This record gives sequence, structure tokens and C-alpha cells, in this order.
Amino acid sequence: MDREKEEKRYKSGLLRSLWPYNFNVERYTYTLHRITGVILILYLIAHVFEIYHLALGPAAWQQTMALLGSLGIWEKIGLWIIAGSALYHGANGLRLILNEAFGILLGKPVLPEYPYTPTSLSRNQKIAIYVIVLIVEALWIWAGIYLLWGLGII
Amino acid sequence: MKVRIRRFDGQKEWWQDYEIDAKPSDTVLDILNRIREKHDHTLAFRQSCQMGSCGSCGMVINGLPALACQTRIGELKTESIRLEPLYNYKVIKDLVVDLTDFVNKHRSVKPWMIRKNPEELEEASMEFQVTPDQNLTFVQFDYCIMCGVCLAACPTVAIDPLFLGPQALGQAYRYIADPRDEGFEERIEVLDDSHGVWRCHFAGACSYVCPKGVDPAKAIQYLKKEILKYRLLHKKKASVKPAELVQKAPPANAPKPPPFDFKIEGGE
Repeated sequence: MDREKEEKRYKSGLLRSLWPYNFNVERYTYTLHRITGVILILYLIAHVFEIYHLALGPAAWQQTMALLGSLGIWEKIGLWIIAGSALYHGANGLRLILNEAFGILLGKPVLPEYPYTPTSLSRNQKIAIYVIVLIVEALWIWAGIYLLWGLGII
Repeated sequence: MKVRIRRFDGQKEWWQDYEIDAKPSDTVLDILNRIREKHDHTLAFRQSCQMGSCGSCGMVINGLPALACQTRIGELKTESIRLEPLYNYKVIKDLVVDLTDFVNKHRSVKPWMIRKNPEELEEASMEFQVTPDQNLTFVQFDYCIMCGVCLAACPTVAIDPLFLGPQALGQAYRYIADPRDEGFEERIEVLDDSHGVWRCHFAGACSYVCPKGVDPAKAIQYLKKEILKYRLLHKKKASVKPAELVQKAPPANAPKPPPFDFKIEGGE
């Protein structure tokens, strides 16, 4: 049984799932989508916990704000990562909705001819991914500048 | 050339290195046969047709699942080769994996033609006409040779062993898209499940590694679209018109065509 567990661990698991090396661009977007999703869930839990302190009265809220303020630049870096996660997860999510619910960017079924190039991973799909990456990067850089400006660094 | 193989004897696993003379035109399967013939007869791997038709020799070559008989040494462009059994499967020995789960998943989506009237099969006097355009809607997914390479590449199968996987879902769509099939409602119970079609998040790795160009990722996305249509709009297979019944053979009283004249003009 231990042998089977060990074998299973080697052949599959979370690391195998998130390791996109050697594969297609879409698999990289998959990995990033998972990671940003987890970041957003953790943020949501922390955010609910933060808002919960409002119900405990002004003193508790001030205390929570003071605690967050004491983190200094790390709070801003955290917010910047969350902003990037939300931007990427949202934009890539829209692409996936187009794929899954409407069948857009997939291409029509074709007769496979060698060398096989899957139409679902074709040029249109790649263009959509690169456009998403460009928009997300631009907005993420803007968010970073905005946060640094808020700190008075620039 | 150095060939590194992940070995497993049922008890322990280890990496074993071999030094082999290889030409760029050799396939990985040629190399494996050479190792077994001249260096190590205990090495286990599956093979049959050696031409990419049977799907027996699926394995992970330099980190990417592929068929050994279709991968040439020259195209790998590396000094050494690393061979492993297919990921996400239980290993039986060396490069041989247990395909039981894979076949069971395939069977669970009922990959055969389902008709509501069973008499059609017993006393068939008519046949269905499928136009070339209708044929194109599913024939790509019919090319699957069940090599299991797509499941080894799928990141969802790696974390959810109960996920049906690209092969089974692709085959489900192949029959659902077929205008002769009437089994959509029967299959949807398996497909619209927590381990069914919605576990796929379109990493596309299955289509990327498929050695026959089947593009299972596309089939799965189309399957999601059909299920959404069915659940939200109560429409099924709206994109494909049903096949028409045509007469299988001419009636008995029909005039017979004239016999074919075998005489060649100008001959004796």
C-alpha cells in the first residue's frame, strides 16, 4: 500500500498539475489561473475577516486599520499582487467563457491532416492570450504606480 | 547516445542509463527494441503496430507524453533521451502502465450509437444518410486510437483521478455530435457531474500532445456548450440536423439495371 502511495505521488499530484514546462502556452495560462484563483480566495477570506471588525465597534476597526498600516510597504505589495491576480483571473476567465459557453476561438471540427495542428490552440487563441497578457500587464503597472504614488514614493 | 529510463520492478523504482548507437532517423521505439535485444532483456514496454495506429507505445519522452513509434531521435534535438511511464497512471512495470481506469472511464460515457427504438437494429430495412458536412462535425474525434497520452498530459487528471479525462469526454462528444445518435440524455448524467466535463479548465495539453490530431480539448468545450444549451435553453444538438433515413436496398419489384458491358472498345 505504501508502495502504491509513493508511486501515485511520483506520477501525479499538485506539482505535476501546476508544472507546465515543455507544454503549450494555454497550459501556462491554466497554471497562472489556478494560482491567481487561490490568491483571490485567500484575499476574500482575509477581507471578510477585516470587514467583520466593523461590527465590533470603532475601536476594533481602528485597531485593525492600525495593524494593516504597520505593515508599511508590504501591505501595498500585497494589494498590488491582489490587483494583478484579479486582473489576470478576470481577463483570462472571460476568454474561457468565450471558449466554453460560446465555442469562440476554437475553430470548427476538421479532418486531421499531418502535421496535426489543433485548431483549439490555433493562432486566434494565441492572439487572445497575448492581448490579455498585454492589457493585464499595462493595468498592473498602472496599479503599481498608483500604489507607489499613494505612499509618496513617486 | 545516452538513454535514461525510469525503471520499476513492482517493488522499487530507479533510473537506469544505457549507451546506444542511434541515427537521427531512428524512432524511440527502435532504440527501446535495440536495448531489449542487445543490452537488457528485462526492460518492459508495450508495442504492436510500430506505425502510430494501435496506440500501445505511449510514454513520456523528455517530459512530454508521446508515442515512441512516432518520435524520431533527430526531432528531439537533445544529446540524451529521458523515458518515463505515462504520468497519472499506476505503473505495472518499467514503461508499462495500468489502463484499467482509462478503459472504464471510456466505457462510462457509452461510446456507441444509442437509438431509442431497438427494433431498428434487429430488423434494419433502412439506413441513415450522413452528409459530408454532417460527417465533418464529428469525424475528427473518431480518429482516437486510445493511446492514453492525453490523460498523461492533463493537469486536472493529476489532481482528480476520478475526472473522466479528455479521451472519454472527447468520445462522448463524438457520439453526441453524430446526427444518428439519440443518447444525449443518457450520457448527460455522467458528463454533467462534479468529475465530468466541468472539471476541465481548458489547459489544452491533451490536444497539444495528441498523436492523431483529435483535438479533445475542442470536443470538451463544444460538449460544455451543448450541455449549457440543454440545461438553460432546453435545446439539444441544435447545431446538427438529424440524419435522414434512406432505403438500404432497392425494392424487389424495381427494374433491374442493364448488365455491365465488359467489352473494350477496339478489343477482340
